[in-house]
Amino acid sequence: MSRRWNQLLSWIYTRVPALPRRYAVGMDALAGAVPWTPAAVPLEQASVALVTLAGVHLRGQPAFDMTRSEGDASFRVIPAAVPAGDLTITHDYYDHAAADRDPNVVFPLARLHEFAAARRIGRVAPRHVGAMGHVLGAEERRLVGESAPAIARLLKADGVDYVVLSPG
Amino acid sequence: MLLKAPAPRNVLVRFRLGEIFGEAGHALQQRAILADALAALLAIRQAGAIVELPYRWKRSVYVDPLARPS
Repeated sequence: MSRRWNQLLSWIYTRVPALPRRYAVGMDALAGAVPWTPAAVPLEQASVALVTLAGVHLRGQPAFDMTRSEGDASFRVIPAAVPAGDLTITHDYYDHAAADRDPNVVFPLARLHEFAAARRIGRVAPRHVGAMGHVLGAEERRLVGESAPAIARLLKADGVDYVVLSPG
Repeated sequence: MLLKAPAPRNVLVRFRLGEIFGEAGHALQQRAILADALAALLAIRQAGAIVELPYRWKRSVYVDPLARPS
Protein backbone atom coordinates (compact mmCIF):
# COMPACT_ATOMS: atom_id res chain seq x y z
CA MET A 1 0.00 0.00 0.00
CA SER A 2 1.14 3.54 -0.63
CA ARG A 3 2.27 5.80 2.19
CA ARG A 4 -0.64 8.11 1.41
CA TRP A 5 -3.11 5.24 1.87
CA ASN A 6 -1.48 4.18 5.14
CA GLN A 7 -1.64 7.75 6.42
CA LEU A 8 -5.33 8.01 5.50
CA LEU A 9 -6.09 4.71 7.26
CA SER A 10 -4.20 5.91 10.33
CA TRP A 11 -6.20 9.14 10.40
CA ILE A 12 -9.40 7.08 10.41
CA TYR A 13 -8.07 4.61 13.02
CA THR A 14 -7.19 7.48 15.34
CA ARG A 15 -10.75 8.79 15.25
CA VAL A 16 -12.64 5.48 15.50
CA PRO A 17 -11.47 3.72 18.70
CA ALA A 18 -13.32 0.52 17.79
CA LEU A 19 -10.94 -0.05 14.86
CA PRO A 20 -7.68 -0.36 16.82
CA ARG A 21 -9.52 -2.52 19.36
CA ARG A 22 -10.61 -4.80 16.53
CA TYR A 23 -7.04 -4.84 15.19
CA ALA A 24 -5.75 -5.82 18.62
CA VAL A 25 -8.08 -8.83 18.77
CA GLY A 26 -6.19 -10.33 15.83
CA MET A 27 -2.77 -9.82 17.38
CA ASP A 28 -0.72 -12.72 18.62
CA ALA A 29 -0.36 -12.75 22.39
CA LEU A 30 3.10 -12.39 23.87
CA ALA A 31 4.66 -15.79 24.47
CA GLY A 32 6.04 -16.59 27.90
CA ALA A 33 5.83 -14.85 31.21
CA VAL A 34 5.85 -11.09 31.52
CA PRO A 35 9.28 -10.08 32.87
CA TRP A 36 9.45 -8.54 36.31
CA THR A 37 12.08 -6.65 38.26
CA PRO A 38 11.21 -5.11 41.63
CA ALA A 39 11.25 -1.31 41.70
CA ALA A 40 13.87 -0.86 44.37
CA VAL A 41 14.98 2.74 43.80
CA PRO A 42 12.87 5.63 45.13
CA LEU A 43 11.77 7.94 42.33
CA GLU A 44 13.54 10.87 43.97
CA GLN A 45 16.82 9.02 43.46
CA ALA A 46 16.09 7.32 40.16
CA SER A 47 17.43 7.92 36.68
CA VAL A 48 14.47 7.82 34.28
CA ALA A 49 14.55 7.33 30.51
CA LEU A 50 11.90 7.52 27.83
CA VAL A 51 11.49 4.96 25.07
CA THR A 52 8.80 5.74 22.56
CA LEU A 53 7.38 3.71 19.71
CA ALA A 54 5.88 6.84 18.20
CA GLY A 55 8.56 7.28 15.52
CA VAL A 56 10.33 10.20 17.22
CA HIS A 57 13.86 11.01 16.08
CA LEU A 58 16.23 13.93 15.56
CA ARG A 59 15.82 15.90 12.38
CA GLY A 60 19.40 15.06 11.45
CA GLN A 61 18.96 11.30 11.89
CA PRO A 62 17.77 8.94 9.14
CA ALA A 63 13.99 8.68 9.10
CA PHE A 64 12.32 5.35 9.83
CA ASP A 65 11.75 3.44 6.60
CA MET A 66 8.08 3.72 5.74
CA THR A 67 8.45 1.87 2.46
CA ARG A 68 8.69 -1.56 4.09
CA SER A 69 5.35 -3.25 4.64
CA GLU A 70 6.69 -4.93 7.80
CA GLY A 71 7.83 -1.63 9.33
CA ASP A 72 11.28 -0.64 10.56
CA ALA A 73 12.70 -2.21 13.73
CA SER A 74 15.68 0.13 13.99
CA PHE A 75 15.91 2.76 16.71
CA ARG A 76 17.32 6.24 17.21
CA VAL A 77 19.16 7.57 20.26
CA ILE A 78 17.88 10.93 21.47
CA PRO A 79 20.05 12.97 23.85
CA ALA A 80 18.38 14.42 26.94
CA ALA A 81 19.38 17.98 26.11
CA VAL A 82 17.76 18.06 22.68
CA PRO A 83 15.57 21.12 22.01
CA ALA A 84 11.99 20.13 21.12
CA GLY A 85 12.42 21.88 17.77
CA ASP A 86 15.10 19.37 16.80
CA LEU A 87 12.69 16.44 17.09
CA THR A 88 10.56 15.13 14.28
CA ILE A 89 8.33 12.12 13.70
CA THR A 90 8.33 9.55 10.93
CA HIS A 91 5.48 7.10 11.37
CA ASP A 92 2.63 6.49 8.93
CA TYR A 93 0.56 4.27 11.21
CA TYR A 94 -0.98 6.83 13.53
CA ASP A 95 -2.06 10.43 13.15
CA HIS A 96 0.78 12.48 14.69
CA ALA A 97 -0.48 15.95 13.85
CA ALA A 98 -0.67 16.83 17.57
CA ALA A 99 2.76 15.34 18.27
CA ASP A 100 4.21 17.33 15.37
CA ARG A 101 3.09 20.48 17.20
CA ASP A 102 4.20 19.25 20.62
CA PRO A 103 6.30 16.04 20.83
CA ASN A 104 5.54 15.84 24.56
CA VAL A 105 2.16 14.28 23.79
CA VAL A 106 3.99 11.06 22.90
CA PHE A 107 7.51 11.73 24.20
CA PRO A 108 7.28 13.90 27.34
CA LEU A 109 10.95 14.81 27.61
CA ALA A 110 10.28 18.44 28.58
CA ARG A 111 7.93 17.24 31.30
CA LEU A 112 10.56 14.79 32.57
CA HIS A 113 13.05 17.64 32.85
CA GLU A 114 10.47 19.54 34.93
CA PHE A 115 10.12 16.54 37.26
CA ALA A 116 13.90 16.42 37.70
CA ALA A 117 14.08 20.17 38.37
CA ALA A 118 11.38 19.75 41.02
CA ARG A 119 13.32 16.79 42.50
CA ARG A 120 10.45 14.38 41.90
CA ILE A 121 12.88 12.13 40.06
CA GLY A 122 16.60 11.83 40.61
CA ARG A 123 17.68 12.75 37.11
CA VAL A 124 16.76 12.60 33.46
CA ALA A 125 18.76 9.84 31.79
CA PRO A 126 21.37 11.14 29.34
CA ARG A 127 19.99 9.15 26.41
CA HIS A 128 16.47 8.24 25.32
CA VAL A 129 15.19 6.13 22.45
CA GLY A 130 12.82 6.60 19.54
CA ALA A 131 11.53 3.59 17.61
CA MET A 132 8.34 2.81 15.76
CA GLY A 133 5.46 0.51 16.50
CA HIS A 134 3.76 -1.44 13.74
CA VAL A 135 6.59 -3.88 13.15
CA LEU A 136 5.61 -7.25 11.77
CA GLY A 137 7.16 -10.53 10.61
CA ALA A 138 10.93 -10.37 10.13
CA GLU A 139 11.05 -6.82 11.50
CA GLU A 140 9.27 -7.92 14.68
CA ARG A 141 11.86 -10.66 15.08
CA ARG A 142 14.62 -8.07 14.55
CA LEU A 143 13.02 -5.83 17.16
CA VAL A 144 12.87 -8.64 19.72
CA GLY A 145 16.21 -10.25 18.87
CA GLU A 146 18.40 -7.22 18.10
CA SER A 147 16.97 -3.77 18.72
CA ALA A 148 15.31 -4.34 22.09
CA PRO A 149 18.41 -5.98 23.64
CA ALA A 150 20.59 -3.20 22.21
CA ILE A 151 18.29 -0.57 23.71
CA ALA A 152 18.39 -2.36 27.07
CA ARG A 153 22.20 -2.47 26.99
CA LEU A 154 22.36 1.23 26.15
CA LEU A 155 20.07 2.19 29.02
CA LYS A 156 21.85 -0.11 31.44
CA ALA A 157 25.20 1.43 30.48
CA ASP A 158 23.74 4.83 31.36
CA GLY A 159 22.66 3.62 34.80
CA VAL A 160 18.96 4.01 34.06
CA ASP A 161 16.67 2.78 36.84
CA TYR A 162 13.26 3.18 35.18
CA VAL A 163 11.96 3.47 31.64
CA VAL A 164 8.67 5.00 30.58
CA LEU A 165 7.66 3.25 27.37
CA SER A 166 5.11 5.06 25.23
CA PRO A 167 3.25 4.02 22.08
CA GLY A 168 2.21 6.37 19.32
CA MET B 1 -3.10 -4.42 22.90
CA LEU B 2 -1.97 -4.18 26.52
CA LEU B 3 -3.66 -7.50 27.15
CA LYS B 4 -1.86 -9.20 24.25
CA ALA B 5 1.62 -7.83 24.87
CA PRO B 6 1.79 -6.26 28.33
CA ALA B 7 4.83 -4.51 29.68
CA PRO B 8 5.83 -5.38 33.25
CA ARG B 9 3.78 -2.40 34.46
CA ASN B 10 1.07 -0.74 32.40
CA VAL B 11 -0.94 2.46 32.60
CA LEU B 12 -4.03 2.90 30.45
CA VAL B 13 -5.45 6.30 29.67
CA ARG B 14 -8.40 6.56 27.31
CA PHE B 15 -6.98 9.26 25.08
CA ARG B 16 -6.66 9.15 21.32
CA LEU B 17 -3.74 7.42 19.65
CA GLY B 18 -1.00 9.96 19.15
CA GLU B 19 -1.99 12.04 22.18
CA ILE B 20 -1.54 9.63 25.05
CA PHE B 21 0.12 12.18 27.35
CA GLY B 22 -2.57 14.75 26.60
CA GLU B 23 -3.28 17.72 24.47
CA ALA B 24 -0.56 19.55 22.54
CA GLY B 25 0.63 22.52 24.57
CA HIS B 26 -1.23 21.41 27.72
CA ALA B 27 1.78 20.95 29.99
CA LEU B 28 -0.26 20.56 33.17
CA GLN B 29 -2.29 17.71 31.68
CA GLN B 30 0.88 16.05 30.42
CA ARG B 31 2.50 16.36 33.85
CA ALA B 32 -0.55 14.78 35.47
CA ILE B 33 -0.39 11.74 33.17
CA LEU B 34 3.36 11.36 33.58
CA ALA B 35 3.14 11.70 37.36
CA ASP B 36 0.50 8.99 37.53
CA ALA B 37 2.56 6.75 35.28
CA LEU B 38 5.59 7.16 37.53
CA ALA B 39 3.48 6.55 40.62
CA ALA B 40 2.14 3.35 39.07
CA LEU B 41 5.70 2.20 38.57
CA LEU B 42 6.06 1.79 42.32
CA ALA B 43 2.44 0.89 43.08
CA ILE B 44 2.05 -2.05 40.69
CA ARG B 45 3.11 -5.31 42.36
CA GLN B 46 2.18 -7.88 39.72
CA ALA B 47 3.80 -8.44 36.31
CA GLY B 48 1.56 -7.32 33.47
CA ALA B 49 -0.88 -5.46 35.72
CA ILE B 50 -2.76 -2.50 34.23
CA VAL B 51 -3.72 0.67 36.07
CA GLU B 52 -6.44 2.67 34.33
CA LEU B 53 -6.29 6.41 34.88
CA PRO B 54 -9.63 8.18 35.44
CA TYR B 55 -9.06 11.03 33.00
CA ARG B 56 -11.57 11.86 30.27
CA TRP B 57 -9.72 14.36 28.10
CA LYS B 58 -11.11 17.88 28.50
CA ARG B 59 -13.93 16.79 30.82
CA SER B 60 -11.52 16.01 33.65
CA VAL B 61 -9.94 18.45 36.04
CA TYR B 62 -6.17 18.12 36.16
CA VAL B 63 -4.14 19.00 39.23
CA ASP B 64 -0.55 19.97 38.64
CA PRO B 65 1.56 17.33 40.44
CA LEU B 66 4.44 19.78 40.73
CA ALA B 67 2.24 22.23 42.61
CA ARG B 68 1.74 19.67 45.38
CA PRO B 69 4.29 18.99 48.10
CA SER B 70 6.18 15.81 47.22
